[in-house]
Amino acid sequence: MSDLPFDANAATDPRDPQAVRDHDNHFADLEDSQNLTEDLAKLSSERGVDRAYAKDLFRRFVETRNPALREELVGIHLPLVEYLARRFRNRGEPLEDLIQVGTIGLLKAIDRFDLEREVEFSTYATPTIVGELKRHFRDKGWAVRVPRRLQELNLSLNKVVAELSQEIGRSPTISEIAAKVRLSEEEVLEGLDTSNAYAVISLDAPAGGEDAPTVSEHIGSEDEGLEALEYRAALGPLIAELPERERRILYLRFFRGMTQSQIAARLGISQMHVSRLLNRTLGLLRAGLLAEDESG
Amino acid sequence: MGTSTLHLEIPASGVYLSVVRAAATGLAAQLQFTYEEIDDLRIAVDEACTQLLARRGSAETLCIDYHLEPAELRVDVSVEAPDRGDPLAKDTFAWQILTALTDEVSERADDSGLHLSFRKHGGRT
Repeated sequence: MSDLPFDANAATDPRDPQAVRDHDNHFADLEDSQNLTEDLAKLSSERGVDRAYAKDLFRRFVETRNPALREELVGIHLPLVEYLARRFRNRGEPLEDLIQVGTIGLLKAIDRFDLEREVEFSTYATPTIVGELKRHFRDKGWAVRVPRRLQELNLSLNKVVAELSQEIGRSPTISEIAAKVRLSEEEVLEGLDTSNAYAVISLDAPAGGEDAPTVSEHIGSEDEGLEALEYRAALGPLIAELPERERRILYLRFFRGMTQSQIAARLGISQMHVSRLLNRTLGLLRAGLLAEDESG
Repeated sequence: MGTSTLHLEIPASGVYLSVVRAAATGLAAQLQFTYEEIDDLRIAVDEACTQLLARRGSAETLCIDYHLEPAELRVDVSVEAPDRGDPLAKDTFAWQILTALTDEVSERADDSGLHLSFRKHGGRT
């Protein structure tokens, strides 16, 4: 039985309706380790992970620390990461990102696994991977589940803001949005508040319909200003890790002074999409700044 | 319409920034800011608060003052952390963010602590 106040698991996820069907209510709480263990057992047999082979790989890896063996171990256990990452997918982050985060946890577990322990690796690795995923959300303040009502509101607001912007040729005010969706301004504000704490659409989805190019196709190969950005930022390592698209948006917004709408027009995506990318990127950059005191 | 001021005090932790953003959003909506202006404002508020939180030392409280003026919101963020140098150097990315998103940014350090302030014009009247 779920003790959640909201039926958050039935969330509407525009990317993949399958996610909704796939989502088991009892996974609302990942601490429910009993269920997790049972499902993991199913998983191993489904995926046909050869435990004896994996064990042998581990033995050789522990002895030699050979990176090639480590890589093979990662490959073997990637389905576990995918499986666990999928449990977090209706929180608004692209699955690929979650798999990347989970893989960091997997690597940690591989490096620390002790063959002397009488546990299966998957049992040992699961808390580490889940911990990494949870931390990912916590760092961004996304640990809070968003009620379905707000998710739906947010989706309709996305649409209305885009329509109104087109109609009136500028970004709409809150009262204009409220009038259009026939809600109070307060309700609209509540919905918008959800918007950036919780990226509802996939950032890699085509922005303007079926035939629209994806964001990455819009991005030129280089922009000399980006180098300046990295230099001036003194955030070099963090910024260097960002996808080129995000770096380009940072540069256009903060160093070229382009508005979100102008950037949106340039990249052929919606202004709200730019907003989401910008907020997400800045969130990542800030996470490092406050990391030391939030972890305690 | 004259100036109205709202004063907000939060525990010095990133956990409460959502409250600071929500307040800014509500006030900007009253001033008829557009969605995009509000979004810029929210990012600026986040950035200013995060920068001062990062320099807060042992301070336990972060203060945010919102000054509503016709077609303008002025935000002052401060933290009691004297003797901790400049609130924010002008050659940082954070400063660049604040100046790009708002119409005027200022910083000062005095006996009461570190202050970061900015003005944001907006709204349709």
